[in-house]
Amino acid sequence: MKDPYEVLGVARTAAPDDIRKAYRRLAKKLHPDLNPGDKQAEARFKEVATANDLLSDPDKRQKFDSGEIDASGAERPRQQYYKDFAGGGAGAGSPYENSSGYADFADGEDLFAELFRRQAGQARRMRGPDLHYRLAISFLDAVNGATQRLTLPDGGSLDVTIPAGIQEGQTLRLRGKGAPVRGEGEPGDALVEISINPHRFFVRHDDDIHIELPITLSEAVLGARIKTPTPTGAVMLTVPKGSNTGAILRLKGKGVARRGGHGDELVKLKVMLPSEPNAELEAFLATWAPASSDDPRKDMVS
Amino acid sequence: MIFTTVDFLARAQVDRETLEIWIEEEWLFPNETTPERAFTEADLARAQLIRDLMDDLGVNAEGVGVVLNLVDQVHGLRNVLAEVVASARAR
Repeated sequence: MKDPYEVLGVARTAAPDDIRKAYRRLAKKLHPDLNPGDKQAEARFKEVATANDLLSDPDKRQKFDSGEIDASGAERPRQQYYKDFAGGGAGAGSPYENSSGYADFADGEDLFAELFRRQAGQARRMRGPDLHYRLAISFLDAVNGATQRLTLPDGGSLDVTIPAGIQEGQTLRLRGKGAPVRGEGEPGDALVEISINPHRFFVRHDDDIHIELPITLSEAVLGARIKTPTPTGAVMLTVPKGSNTGAILRLKGKGVARRGGHGDELVKLKVMLPSEPNAELEAFLATWAPASSDDPRKDMVS
Repeated sequence: MIFTTVDFLARAQVDRETLEIWIEEEWLFPNETTPERAFTEADLARAQLIRDLMDDLGVNAEGVGVVLNLVDQVHGLRNVLAEVVASARAR
């Protein structure tokens, strides 16, 4: 163990102030965080710090001077330095790392410029956390697309552009709308999970819209042009003569937007008798005697 | 290892007010997670460096910001140098 007076380069009679000054002068040169990668400086700093611990404490110094303790008794427990977390690749991507010291080298086209750019990119990748939100939208907004304002818990708001044809549970990523981060990093993203409220009469299967359309007995028997709702507004649908319950008519291109076009709307007909008993209809059917009898239950007869 | 604010204050031996100033000055960037900040071991070691600079080396508040900025640049340079050396050796 070296003599602490020698380590600090002061006389045995040095005043406390001289010791402090000597320590400070050496520490400025030798502090491990100001000399990352210099093992020799780190070892010398340890000696200097130990010497200072001993000599800056009047009680310990007195005991040392009188020979009661030796220099080894004051050895400092090993402290961790910032460089241990920032250097040698361990710090790549640390929020503190700063690429401004070599940013100018990244301009060229050669291999090294590529390396510099990659390294700078790594430091920049340290960005703020992503924030997660949920947004419930109407069925028609999901089919047709819309812009919805999302109110955030902190009172702010976020305009969310919903693309036409979005699916239940799909997540929209809004770049840079997440939490900010101090330092060089960019803010995170906002991730908005979409849920779609059901519609009164439209149901979606993949890119097609299904709807059940009630028609009257005479529309079913005689055929008709019927105003039919679609997600983009009503259209006229031609119901052919003799359409039965369960018949499906296809409205081409009236479904959900997809790559290269739209799905279809499938209209399932449902024949409805008059809601009140109708004397005329009863009288007519009582006299109606079809020539060939048509048994709708013929498949069930055993 | 991740520390809460209370934990961090005890380990770094700083008071809450001082910590707020250091964060305000952007000497420390803990993760601003909810409901509480999260400090890493790197944050703790950096706080120790700040204390060394101010208490032992006589650097004043203005100087600390300058030193930290240069230290951060040195680490940026050291990391990129390490990568350059590694890629040169690989050839």
